[in-house]
Amino acid sequence: MKRFKDSRKGVSTTVVVGAIILIVIIAVAALYALELPPFARPPFEGIIMGTTDSVESAIDPAQAYDFFGWEIIQNTGCTLVEVEPGSSATAEDYTPALATEWTTSTDLKTWTFTLREGILFDDETEFNATHVKYSFDRNMGIASPDGPQLNMEYDAIIDNVEVVSKYVVKFNLKIPFGPFLGLMACQASSIVNPEYAGGWKTDWSTDDIVEYTEGDARASSPMDLGPYKLTKWERVGGKDHEIGLEANPNYWNKGAGLPKTEKIIIKFYADATALRLAIEGGEIDVAFRHITPTDIEDLKDDPDLEVWEGTGAAIQYMIFQEDDVGTLPSLNDPRARRAITAALNRSEITETVFLGQSSPLYSMIPTGMLGHTEAFATLGDANYTLTRSLLAELGYNETNKLEIELWYETSGHYPSSPDQAALYKEQFEASGVISVTLKSADWPHYRTNRNEGVMHVFIYGWYPDYIDPDNYAFLYYASWLNHHYSKYNATNHYFAMKAAYDAARASTDEAERISLYAELEDYAVEDCPLVPIWQGAAWAVTKPNIKGVYLDITQTWRIWLLYEE
Amino acid sequence: MGLRSYIVARVLLMIPMIFLLLSIVFLIIRVMPGDPVLLHFERKASEEAMAELRHVLGLDKPLYVQYFEYLAGLLRGDLGRSMAPGHHSISQQIFSAFPATLELALFSTLISVGVGILLGVRASQSYNSLQDHSIRAFGIVVYAIPIFFLGMIFQLIFAINLHWLPANGRFPPFLPEPSGLILYLSKPAGGFAQVFMWSLPAGFVSWAICSVALKRKRVKFWLKGFLISLLVLLVGWIVYAYLAWHFMCLGVLHISTGLLTIDSLIEGSPLKFVESLRYLFLPSLTLGLVLSGVFIRLTRSNMLETLRLDFVTAAKARGLKETAVVYGYAFRNSFLPILTMMGLQFAILLGGAILTERTFSWPGLGSYLVDRITFRDYTAIQGAVVLFGILVAIVNLMVDILYAYLDPRIRF
Repeated sequence: MKRFKDSRKGVSTTVVVGAIILIVIIAVAALYALELPPFARPPFEGIIMGTTDSVESAIDPAQAYDFFGWEIIQNTGCTLVEVEPGSSATAEDYTPALATEWTTSTDLKTWTFTLREGILFDDETEFNATHVKYSFDRNMGIASPDGPQLNMEYDAIIDNVEVVSKYVVKFNLKIPFGPFLGLMACQASSIVNPEYAGGWKTDWSTDDIVEYTEGDARASSPMDLGPYKLTKWERVGGKDHEIGLEANPNYWNKGAGLPKTEKIIIKFYADATALRLAIEGGEIDVAFRHITPTDIEDLKDDPDLEVWEGTGAAIQYMIFQEDDVGTLPSLNDPRARRAITAALNRSEITETVFLGQSSPLYSMIPTGMLGHTEAFATLGDANYTLTRSLLAELGYNETNKLEIELWYETSGHYPSSPDQAALYKEQFEASGVISVTLKSADWPHYRTNRNEGVMHVFIYGWYPDYIDPDNYAFLYYASWLNHHYSKYNATNHYFAMKAAYDAARASTDEAERISLYAELEDYAVEDCPLVPIWQGAAWAVTKPNIKGVYLDITQTWRIWLLYEE
Repeated sequence: MGLRSYIVARVLLMIPMIFLLLSIVFLIIRVMPGDPVLLHFERKASEEAMAELRHVLGLDKPLYVQYFEYLAGLLRGDLGRSMAPGHHSISQQIFSAFPATLELALFSTLISVGVGILLGVRASQSYNSLQDHSIRAFGIVVYAIPIFFLGMIFQLIFAINLHWLPANGRFPPFLPEPSGLILYLSKPAGGFAQVFMWSLPAGFVSWAICSVALKRKRVKFWLKGFLISLLVLLVGWIVYAYLAWHFMCLGVLHISTGLLTIDSLIEGSPLKFVESLRYLFLPSLTLGLVLSGVFIRLTRSNMLETLRLDFVTAAKARGLKETAVVYGYAFRNSFLPILTMMGLQFAILLGGAILTERTFSWPGLGSYLVDRITFRDYTAIQGAVVLFGILVAIVNLMVDILYAYLDPRIRF
């Protein structure tokens, strides 16, 4: 039988091909590493930011009512006034933006603004008073059910906007409103360009909301007076993937060298771990919202990164449903609510769950803001003596415990909700007279449950719409919380609190407002309709050469102040 | 029954199967308890607002009308409107995410099959040796490791410590994404030149691939290749002329696959190709390694059976090289179960490798589906499930056809 040759002399084809492939790979890797053509990278003069947040719906001041939507509006739009970066947003901290000066009538019902001249929109139209009237008429006219104008009750505050002259506009209000400058500085009051906002008309509907348009950033935003123009907005699978901003040549403050960085790219990450890896790996220059407390502690020790801590304005609070919930014990009696509140140990929450990166809160008005008090501290923390004595008056004791259902959300809408809830349960049950059943729901169901009033006790959070104690104190009266505090006004301090609240918002006198909010909070401690728990700080991690980071009480980034040293 | 008849029969059988799937998905979404519209309002919505949302989504129509509109929409490629604010087109959302998933699925399947088959064959050749045991242990370990854990280890090593590869994402932000082929419709001379540049090699390469795959090497191979290329060129020019005539006002026509690696090659940018590979490497390696465990065991067990058969002994006795016996004879006879598994795995991956996508912030269909489930966007979930079902049916059909081609015994 003839044998096939099963060996040959010399190098086999496989070895030759393998060697060629290896040489090609090494050559490509070398050229790539040395950035030689054809692998020379184009220079990028900009800052890359990373976040796990995203725009919930649209970048339209008539629709956007989420944190990140406002973040983009802040940096691509412009308002009549601005809050001084790094300030506490007191009355003296509002600075001119599209308006150069303003006056108010003594009854605080008329506010007149003189506008900056010579500002151009994208289409070279000059900004004037008609655009201010247009913007407010449009946004309030659209009245999107989920938009800010309806939810912040613009229509209850503003009666009409009047064009006095080309550069003078007057706001006639329905009620005296001391915090009006705060409202004017918030992103919902951004001025829009009629060319991209639906045109000059008077009949508005939700169909006029400027939505995300695939591949067309210009058509996706109605604003162009801000420090940046939206040049790229890419969504993949309905979720933000990348946003690109470029310096606006028509920005009113470009003479001051703003924005400091020409190009900004915002990248979106799935979760905090991915965000941390991105900043540690050097892929991004800035990481913000949301970095976990443990990651922040770790990154503080990283010599290649800088951790920034700023003033927080986000608060978390507990709500008691005063209407009956099934067969559960009624929380209608304020003694029951005070008893539960007294069992809270806020310091334990902030140290255990948030590693000291949040702070205990004893007032619905956060620390650092006008009107803040330590009112709820009078009930103490883990004050089980008070808890037991109050519940004893209602017939509850160690053999007949007050049973409550404590709800928390599970979609990550609030930080570390499951951990917080577990600790609350532990704290309440440590009193010996309260029994807690934990219940949870994802965010859509949590909201629906809130609307239906079926959650016995539940955790909620709040970011300010505008920087004023009014925007925190109103929470006691927010009908959408559906806790029915107002329903039992015959047996609580609802009207007294409302009187203090209304008087405070009708005043600009700081001392008077401080006194009124203190009175309001004292009543709140008696009734405990809502209970403040903690106040969060703002955190960011950047490369060491990134400067211009302002994490102040406004919570949003002035990206136009960022620069690389 | 011949192969052609078999293919026709399988395609025809697929139609009622897909129809049944669509109907089941439609019914399940609509019989679920609770009102999905309630979940999509921040505040307690008025009846008018809820009625308007139901109207926009078509939920206020009779069930049978919704059903037929649903089927008609599917025929047009319209998967409906999302319940999220903005009510964007689900088709647009899904097809924006699908290329990323497809790219990840392709590369991770290549890695899993390549690693799995090579190691599985090695293990079978060195049965009961240290090498065999090591490979089997490796297969078990990689299959057992949670994907996100393996992914994080790779990220820590290659991205954080070595800075060789990026930890997340799909493409670097400082580069414009590959745009694929850009046809300049308003510049006919340039356009025709572009078509020439692409058609000629495209035609030649396709002929070469088909010839090698079908093992029909002919003496006049090169001449046939040239003629095929000319034919493709002619067709390309006709198509281009039609597009230029009708769409000249657009100026430019983008032809892209959405797969960044392919688009960068089409665009002719080596930098973008290498960058897209860099970003793709870690997620596809992670997913590929984990899935390779299945292929290692499957290949090994099938090969062990085949290597014991008489024809293998006979081939060795005739003096054939070891690699020729193993890969040319034994492996080909063991391949069918591996092909089935490849099809199943690939189909599952097309639905989105959720854990991998979350770990690497890969913007694919898995992340999309998780987000939509979290926010109870029922219409989007319905659209994604329908697409996934159709893809699984198509992949199974292709596997069955390949099966029948490779093994003529498999017919009806």
